[in-house]
Amino acid sequence: AVLSLEDSEDKEVTERISAIKTAAKFFSEDADHSFEAKAMDEALRLLVFQQQLEKDSDGQKKYVGLSVNETMAACFVNGLAKKADRIKADWRVPDKRYWYTKLYALTSIRDFDGLDAF
Amino acid sequence: SESDSGGPALNIGVFKEIAKRALVDALNSVNGAKTLVLERSLAGPLGLLTEVSLLKHHGVDKMFWLESGPLNASTTNVVYLCRPQVKYMMIISEQIKRLTAEHATHTYNLFLVPRRTTLCERILKEEGVFGEVNIASYKLEFIPVEDDLLSLEWEDTFREIFLDGDETAIYYAAQALITFQQAYGLFPRIIGKGDAAKKLANLIIHLRPPRLATVSVALDSLIIIDRSTDMITPLLTQLTYQGLIDEFIGIRNSHIEVDPSYLSNAPPAPPTGTPTPSTSTSAPVITPANPKKKKHLLTASGDTLFNALRDLNFAVVGNRLNREAKRLDAEYKGRHQAQTVAQLREFVGKLGGLQNEHQALRLHTSLSEQIHPLTRTEQFNKSLEIQQNLLASYEPAAQLNAIEDLIAQQAPVQLVLRLMCVASLTSGGIKVKVLENLKREILQTYGYSHLPTLLNLTSLSLITALPLPKIPLYPPPPPFAAIRKHLRLLSDTPENAPTDVSFVYSGYAPISSRLIQCVTQKGAVLASVGPADDAAAAGGAGRAERTVAHPISGWKGFEDALKLIPGETVDVIQKGDEGESPLVAPPPPRDRATTTMVFFLGGCTYTEIATIRWMAKQTKGRRYLIATTGIINGSTLIESLAPKGAKFEPVA
Repeated sequence: AVLSLEDSEDKEVTERISAIKTAAKFFSEDADHSFEAKAMDEALRLLVFQQQLEKDSDGQKKYVGLSVNETMAACFVNGLAKKADRIKADWRVPDKRYWYTKLYALTSIRDFDGLDAF
Repeated sequence: SESDSGGPALNIGVFKEIAKRALVDALNSVNGAKTLVLERSLAGPLGLLTEVSLLKHHGVDKMFWLESGPLNASTTNVVYLCRPQVKYMMIISEQIKRLTAEHATHTYNLFLVPRRTTLCERILKEEGVFGEVNIASYKLEFIPVEDDLLSLEWEDTFREIFLDGDETAIYYAAQALITFQQAYGLFPRIIGKGDAAKKLANLIIHLRPPRLATVSVALDSLIIIDRSTDMITPLLTQLTYQGLIDEFIGIRNSHIEVDPSYLSNAPPAPPTGTPTPSTSTSAPVITPANPKKKKHLLTASGDTLFNALRDLNFAVVGNRLNREAKRLDAEYKGRHQAQTVAQLREFVGKLGGLQNEHQALRLHTSLSEQIHPLTRTEQFNKSLEIQQNLLASYEPAAQLNAIEDLIAQQAPVQLVLRLMCVASLTSGGIKVKVLENLKREILQTYGYSHLPTLLNLTSLSLITALPLPKIPLYPPPPPFAAIRKHLRLLSDTPENAPTDVSFVYSGYAPISSRLIQCVTQKGAVLASVGPADDAAAAGGAGRAERTVAHPISGWKGFEDALKLIPGETVDVIQKGDEGESPLVAPPPPRDRATTTMVFFLGGCTYTEIATIRWMAKQTKGRRYLIATTGIINGSTLIESLAPKGAKFEPVA
């Protein structure tokens, strides 16, 4: 049962990925939509990254479906500050947004040591 | 006197009776007990007309939402009630086929709201169930929601007309206005602005049945405001009492959901877990969306305090509530003055009324106490500052930076998108680099699922990238600075004694309201200081003598301003059988006020309603009847432009 559950979730992600790929292809064929094409590439990379995070947590944590910010926040909450920093670099998250996200995440888990180190 | 133009225009309550009787007739046309299968979005409008007990009284045994999946009908009769949409025809066909395969014998009745269509019939034929369904129409049109306000209570009309290009709503709106004319006679003149307004005017004229041939004596005109002519107004934060209730608590079909303690002496309910809404077809309809909250019909009828508060700028509501509390207290103390039995009896006679007023005071004090802290947050005040600066074209680049800060602080996405659209509309667009950066910030913060929303906002020209390409994909936004100057949109006015419609946004007059004034109150568009204000400025106590409303003469005098606003201009005289009508209607006799009907195609806000009520109080001899496809605010507007399933957190 657990296996089939994982299977269905995998399928869901596969479906998401193929939907985004279709959209990315559609946008990339149109010069007026280069921004959208780039955004879909980002979305695709995020899904792959989230899938890996879920695998690394042995399926204990959920990441798929979260936004870039929410994924960063979840990484802070789950003690994966390095992964959050990787998102900051790979998605070129500006400092301002990164620091607010970290602040909110650490506050939500009352990580006072982390907040002290701010 | 106050009642001259402040009072109700026409007795529109009759439309409620008509709609209710039509529903009863529809139910009674099916003999015996029946299972009612109802489209979800019709529940709200029907709730304004009737109660569940009335449905039970007319044979409704059980009710279900119209949703895909099997239907467990215990009665022979099944009654479907829905709008004529393809997706509903598919669900109904699927359910009938399934039940037939199970050898269930039911009689299927389908009432389409407001009208049956050949498209629906064709789909039922294609699905092979046409022969098994009795199809009829349930003509649900205008619902009177206040004594001066008619609403069709349609959701997403703006999206359907202006984004999807589905003009069915224009056709149905024309039918509703024709029904209205059947009651009150032809509008002597139809005035409007916008391409969709033009289409609506044409339909009203061309669909008019031949027997409808008398020009109204009660009405002087119909003014059609097409939502596309003023997109800025709904995106701004409404600053009136009712507007803020709608922004923060949400008003749906005139109902709010509040803590039960607001409505009675009961202590506040203990917090409980949010229940998951049931989606199964077998769940009964009558479960409150949120059991710990109570639904309340927010209306001025029977609530004189709300009548006095609803259209005030929120800044002065606290004071008004205070005065009301003191007055009530004095009234209660009146019992000590009662010396004789007759005086005591008189007081007891007043007691019921006092208790009602007390109840109203509790409700509105509680609502104000809920809203007040929300208007004190840094986020709220920052967003107001951004709006005010953008409307004044003050440092637009700095405002875009401030919007980016709000994103970093994870402000609700609706608010961010509203501000971004206002920035684009007031500046003629946003430089492509800055815009793409903002869009990236939004997608990364709130999710890539908002990309379709951004594309929709772009195709509606609510967001425009600069520089414009040689051949723009979408029309550029209208020239805001010029419109602002021509229509005097920036206008300071005291919040406690407004001298201009700009009180609803603390110093900004909606374009839509100004368009109405171009027709009905020309002087007010040109100058803020009218005769009524001179007296107020001189410190005169009480209301100054109101001037007599000028006759309707179309857009005369504002042709230049109208050219700046996109879309066609409408001005048509409707003639009856009595021969030619005069081109300029004669001034209304001093003893009888005429009524101007304003119809918003694509929805209006509570602030716009407040401005029209304010106009009604300024002049003698003209009353206003407000009608709309539905009531919207910036957040519901943005949400309607998002794909199904996009994530939105509640605003407050």
